[in-house]
Amino acid sequence: MDQRLEGLTLLGILLGGVFHAAVLFLVAAGLQLVFGVQKILNLACGSFYALGAYAGVSAVRWALGAGLPAPLFFPVLLAAGLVLALLGPVIERLLRPIYGRDESFQLLLTFALVLMFEDVIRFFWGTAPHQLGNVYLAYGQVRVGGLTVPTYNLVVIGCGAAIAGGMGWFLARTRFGRVLRATAENREMAEAMGIDMTRVYARVFTLGMALGTVGGALVIPATAAVNEMGIDLIVEAFAVVVIGGLGSMRGAFVGALIVGVMKAVAIATWPEVEMLAIYVIVIAVLVLRPAGLFARATA
Amino acid sequence: MIVRALGVAAAAALLLLPLAGFPYTTTLLLPAFGYAVALLGLNLLFGSTGLLSFGHALFVALGGYTAAALTGRLGVRSLEVVLITAVVIAAVVAVPVGLLCVRYVKIYFGMLTLAFGMLFYSFLYKFYALTGGDEGMRVLRPVLLGQPLAQLDTVAFLTGPFYYYALGVLAVAMVVMRRLVTSPFGLSLRSIRENADKAESLGISVPRHRLAAFVVAAIFGAVGGVLLVVPTGLADPLLAYWTHSGNLVFMLLLGGFEHFLGPVLGAVVFILLQDSVMSVTSYWRFVFGAILAVVVIFFPRGLMGLLDARRTATS
Amino acid sequence: MRLTRRRFLKLSGAGAVTVAVPLHGAPARAQSGPVRLGILAAKAGVLAPVGESGLRGVQFATDRINAAGGILGRKLELIVEEESSPKDTVERFRKLALSDKVDAVSGAISTGVGLALGPAAEEMKTIWLAWDATTQKGVEESMPKPKYSFRSTDNECEAVMASMLTARHWKGKFKTVAGINPDYSYGRDNWAAFLAIMKKHGIELQVVSELWPKLGATDFTSHVATLAQAKPDLVFSCFWAGDTPIFMKQAHAAGLTKTTKFVLTTGGGVHESLKKDFTPEAAILGYNCFYFENPKASALAKEFTRWHAEKFKEWPNYESDHGYFTVVAFKAAIERAAKAGGGKWPTQDAIIQGLEGVEAESLSGPRRYREDHIMEATFFQGFTTYRNRYDFVTIDPLESMSTKQIQKPSGVGLYDWINGWKV
Repeated sequence: MDQRLEGLTLLGILLGGVFHAAVLFLVAAGLQLVFGVQKILNLACGSFYALGAYAGVSAVRWALGAGLPAPLFFPVLLAAGLVLALLGPVIERLLRPIYGRDESFQLLLTFALVLMFEDVIRFFWGTAPHQLGNVYLAYGQVRVGGLTVPTYNLVVIGCGAAIAGGMGWFLARTRFGRVLRATAENREMAEAMGIDMTRVYARVFTLGMALGTVGGALVIPATAAVNEMGIDLIVEAFAVVVIGGLGSMRGAFVGALIVGVMKAVAIATWPEVEMLAIYVIVIAVLVLRPAGLFARATA
Repeated sequence: MIVRALGVAAAAALLLLPLAGFPYTTTLLLPAFGYAVALLGLNLLFGSTGLLSFGHALFVALGGYTAAALTGRLGVRSLEVVLITAVVIAAVVAVPVGLLCVRYVKIYFGMLTLAFGMLFYSFLYKFYALTGGDEGMRVLRPVLLGQPLAQLDTVAFLTGPFYYYALGVLAVAMVVMRRLVTSPFGLSLRSIRENADKAESLGISVPRHRLAAFVVAAIFGAVGGVLLVVPTGLADPLLAYWTHSGNLVFMLLLGGFEHFLGPVLGAVVFILLQDSVMSVTSYWRFVFGAILAVVVIFFPRGLMGLLDARRTATS
Repeated sequence: MRLTRRRFLKLSGAGAVTVAVPLHGAPARAQSGPVRLGILAAKAGVLAPVGESGLRGVQFATDRINAAGGILGRKLELIVEEESSPKDTVERFRKLALSDKVDAVSGAISTGVGLALGPAAEEMKTIWLAWDATTQKGVEESMPKPKYSFRSTDNECEAVMASMLTARHWKGKFKTVAGINPDYSYGRDNWAAFLAIMKKHGIELQVVSELWPKLGATDFTSHVATLAQAKPDLVFSCFWAGDTPIFMKQAHAAGLTKTTKFVLTTGGGVHESLKKDFTPEAAILGYNCFYFENPKASALAKEFTRWHAEKFKEWPNYESDHGYFTVVAFKAAIERAAKAGGGKWPTQDAIIQGLEGVEAESLSGPRRYREDHIMEATFFQGFTTYRNRYDFVTIDPLESMSTKQIQKPSGVGLYDWINGWKV
């Protein structure tokens, strides 16, 4: 009996880590996509996540107030995240002047975006935390022996996996996916073959933004939207990208799992190092295997 | 010519400011001097060597906490001793960190330095028995050149002797950096920035030069950090947070990273700008983000680049 | 073309510097005209909601004072600056003191800022009335005898009161204890106080888990899983921000709220977010110094609560009361000093003397400043209940304790005081 309980509690801890990893994957995937194709490390990925969270709360609150039955909140969340991504082309336009420039300038411009988004969020939603009080358990809970897990967590994990699979299929099988991979590998060649970079960049950026905003929207029933949530997530997203390898979608998936699970295990076994663990892992990976686990041959 | 004239005018203004009777503005510029010293180092790393560090705040914090540990905990009040200790500690920490970081360039270098900066932040925050944690560590008034100056209250101390001391340290730092940049070492750095492979083939040891630049930058950062914490009276972990590093880069870009006077100009303008904007709106972060965006897109050479358009032709 | 642009930039650059400089050459502190009060309120990050709350209390007090004719006929004027990092906040304080030449500064919530402002206030000889941030280090170690700094109530008061309630009602009813507290001085100090008081009351307990999430964290799924594994009878938490409802929500979703007793020392600050959906009944919930539905509330408290609810569409919390009290105490001190000095406007030293021992009616009842510059107030805690007309929990019955019972007196260390109790 005791051994079964231990197995269950380990499962509970792992599920907590995987839940966090699912959300982290979405943000990191957005980061990877933009970097892989456009070679820009977008610090504002955390801001997109935050925007998605706040917009998700507003959208669901409005929908429920307008009479939507509670279990239908999920598509509203997804819609909120996707609608926000319509801002993608606008923001991409802003980044266009610095495409040819040194990477450092691109990084700094995205840092400027981070600063601006913080106040934009504060302007529209204020400083108090925003939460959805009653939809987290709308799909009930799953009980296995002594372990209780909200079904929604599993839904998010499933969503993350589905999107990961979808991205993989999209990159491998669709024409646009092939265009993206070609551009990522050799931009000059892709351009020489007649691919319109302006359109590719606009679409990729929008897709990357959508992944971040959807990630933020999906996580909101389980948590709350608070100021500076984006800034805190950036460092974790970086860790994922470093571990997985810059530009690799598979790397984002595996990296997110590693970060999520290691954090959960650290909390359960050695809580004091919760904060330090991530940076040590990042530094260790950068030192031992700088290209990450799934290095991408970038031109 | 114009640059030189402006520089002389600015230097005169800075020298005379404490006497003009604006105590607040005078104390306001004190962090600018500290930042200017730190930025001289960052400029060597970025402007000369082409390595953008997003973790420079680590060394600024290191200098700050050194000052706190010496004056507050160990009773060592001599600012000269504090500065020298900060230099030594910065070098000691910068060598291993640098050895790891300078193997990589560009994005990886930025990310690795960011990670190290945040690691130090976490360390400062977590090991509270040693560092005071979120409460920070007190920095007591230092003794300048052996003069305790106990008869002066803090405002008089800060707007008088300490102001000139900090300005003096900045002047010395500028002279030292000038020598470095115009020396063969500085030229080697710039050749590495232009084309690392070519420099290597010419016999310049790229990793060793980069490491040296990293250590020098760290030293300047720590000295700046010491000057930074004396007016506040407290060293706290936020000094090492990655957004603080981001602000340092912002300042450097604002001033102009390829120009020698860029750091000083950037620090002073940033501090004055922040003060004005903060008093006007609570959405000052948005304003600053917008300013940074404008600078990056339209004025990447910063203010010095505008004032000295001549340079853009040669670099 | 080039010359023109350069000249323009040179002139505007010089202009920027010259404009910036005279802005800070303000006139000397006046004896007539408005009384100027500098405010340091947090506007961003995890502190922002609390900073905003404090500012509302200050605004309410100022409006009432000015409507009634001001302080000795002089209007009260607020100059609001932002509380952020210790370094930046000290600079803002300096601006208020040296440039705006305010008569006093009210504000500050975060611990680091509080520790930096104490010496700054003494150095700049400016009265500082803190809203919060009273750690033992700030009170005892760095400045044992401040002249210009007036502190708020001790950070540990909430833990002390909650521990007393735990001992009184739950002694013998729990054995294993887990703590989940924000990883900084406030979290550590409260947890340590709780354990010390449990020990003093002879309550044998076993700490099965001690978790230290980052302040302001938004994900506790792993923490909750760890707690579920440890199976504590009682969970102690001094969460005070958005982390409180998130933790409760995730704890409830994992089934933790069914059988575990909860002690939430400061969660009442965000009480509206503690929805009945996931917050259990019969948990000890602390509201610091203000409870919005106090049955014994004064007319003033009711008026304030109504005003706040109408204007901001949410119920007020304790920081408003801290902010409010600093303003009315300041006024009361001036009036007190003026009376002693024959009616004319008192000197700064006289105002400081007036502040020591001053009593004033705050939003939650009478409060005062002790002679050692620490606040005396009333704390409100109780057991959560669903018997109300809201979608969030309230407390019933309401227990109130004065700082005379839960705050250490001057001159003695916190743990010496606890050890000296007679239980």
